[in-house]
Parts: sequence; structure tokens; C-alpha cells
Amino acid sequence: MTTDDKSQEKWEVQLRKGSLELVILAALKDRTLYGLELLKVLQSFKSTAITEGTLYPLLDRLKREELMDAKWVQEGDIRPRKYYCLTAQGETKLADLTNLWRQSVQDIEYLLAHPGPDPIKVSGV
Amino acid sequence: MEQQQMIHQYLNTLQRYLARLSPAEAKEVIREIESHIFDLIEQCEAAGQQADAASILQGFGEPRQLAEQYVAHMTAGAPPPLGFRAIQRVKHGVTAGLYYSMAAFGFLTSFSLLFLAGAKLITPDAVGVWAMSEGNSLTIAFLAEPFPKEQELMGMALVPVAAVLGVLVMWLTRRILTVLKSQL
Repeated sequence: MTTDDKSQEKWEVQLRKGSLELVILAALKDRTLYGLELLKVLQSFKSTAITEGTLYPLLDRLKREELMDAKWVQEGDIRPRKYYCLTAQGETKLADLTNLWRQSVQDIEYLLAHPGPDPIKVSGV
Repeated sequence: MEQQQMIHQYLNTLQRYLARLSPAEAKEVIREIESHIFDLIEQCEAAGQQADAASILQGFGEPRQLAEQYVAHMTAGAPPPLGFRAIQRVKHGVTAGLYYSMAAFGFLTSFSLLFLAGAKLITPDAVGVWAMSEGNSLTIAFLAEPFPKEQELMGMALVPVAAVLGVLVMWLTRRILTVLKSQL
């Protein structure tokens, strides 16, 4: 592995870490999922693939912060499972994080679409 | 059966590391992870595959590290336990004491060396470093009746050596004091 690959991987890890809360809130929007289900959803996307060891403690934290609710449900004969859904507070947080995310993507896209040597129009300075 | 045992052992170890949570909270964590593991095993078996406990557990990581993430919120941003302020005060006292004794020790040593260099320059015969008892002891002294010249170490070379050492010790002392001061 070259240094470039390594630093790229580092960047990916940081990005994934930073966006994870938004990813989980988004996956649970208007949906009720149990841990394993949610994990499989996240692992089906290249940039959101995380392990059990990351997911469960994070779910625990989000529940403590009252962004989501959890309850044990037993369907028929199968073992009870702990299902998660967003609280009203979680919905608000999702909306806030969504705005931040979109702003960030929009800003970065703008920079990428406007390389030099032309100066970038700077407003408000 | 060995698979079951491996899972059982993992959950037991995890439970031990979760001791800082309330028993109910720890039980809840274990129950959820247990449910996840058995779900995976059932899915494997339903697909006609042999479930591999080791690879399932690998996703959760080491029990200690997993537990640390659950317990992290308890330590994050929590004020230090009672009694810690006293330790801070003691630490501060030690640092101040250290600062002044370091200053006294460092500058005294430095000035002694510089003084020795100056004295040797002014009265070369009365000042010097002598080795006695065939090298078992070393004497730096001012003497009215000097030792035989053959036993003296360094001779006039003592002047630059002591001067350089003196300046070096002074520089070192100032450096150390700068570091200590930033901790005061």
C-alpha cells in the first residue's frame, strides 16, 4: 500500500465517522428497523459500511440523547428483537444535519466546478 | 457446541467490562448483542451453511473495546471525582517548589563552575582538580600548599572546560525553568 492509498483511506474513515450519525438517522426516517436489519442496509452501501462494534454503541448513544426510541418486539415464535425508530427530536436533528450536509456538498461542488486561474467570486468579504 | 461456548464466553467477558453501567443497562446491551448473534447463526443455518462464531464475533471487536464505547458517555465531560481538586493543588505546589529548587541548584552549579574557571585563571597554582588515592577520589580545591604538579588533572585546560560547562549548565537551567514556568 502506498502512502497515498493510506492517506486516502484515512480520509475515508474520517468522512464516514463524521457522517455516521446523519446516515443512521436518515436510514431510520419513517422506518422501524432492528439492529441487524439496519446493519445490512448500511453494509449494502460502499461508503456507509460499518461493523456491529460501531453500530450498536452508537445506537445506544443516540437513544440516550433521545434522538431515537427502541422497543423489544416479538413476532410469533422468533426471538424478540429490539426495533429502533426516530423520536420527534431525532426528526429535527435529521433535518438540521441534512441542511448542513447539503450546504457542505454544495460548497465543495462549487469549488470543484470552479478551478483557477479565474478568481472565485467571494461574497460578503 | 464449541461455537456456543465461544459466544457464551464473549458475552461473559463483555458483561464484566460493562460493570460501570447499571445492571439493567448492561443486561439490555448483552441481550441485544445476543439476539443479533443468534439471528445471524439462524440465517446461516437456514441457508444451509455452517455458522462461524469467530467471524460473527469479529464484527463486534474485542469485548473490552466494545464495552469502552458503551461506557464512554459516562466518562466524557464528567467532572473529576471529589478529591481530585486536592491533587491538583498538591501538583501545583510541587511544580512551584520544583521551579525554585531547580533555579537555585542550576544557577549555583553554573556560578561555581564559572568562578572556578576565573579563580584558576587568577591563581593557577592554588586552584585545580586533583586525583587522589590513585584515582579513587577527585578534589576540586583552593589550596595554600599546592599538590605536586604531576597529580593535577587538566592544568590550565580547566579554565575553558569549567567556563564552557558553566555556560552550558546556565543555558540548560534556563531552558528547564522555561518549561516549568509554563506549567506553573
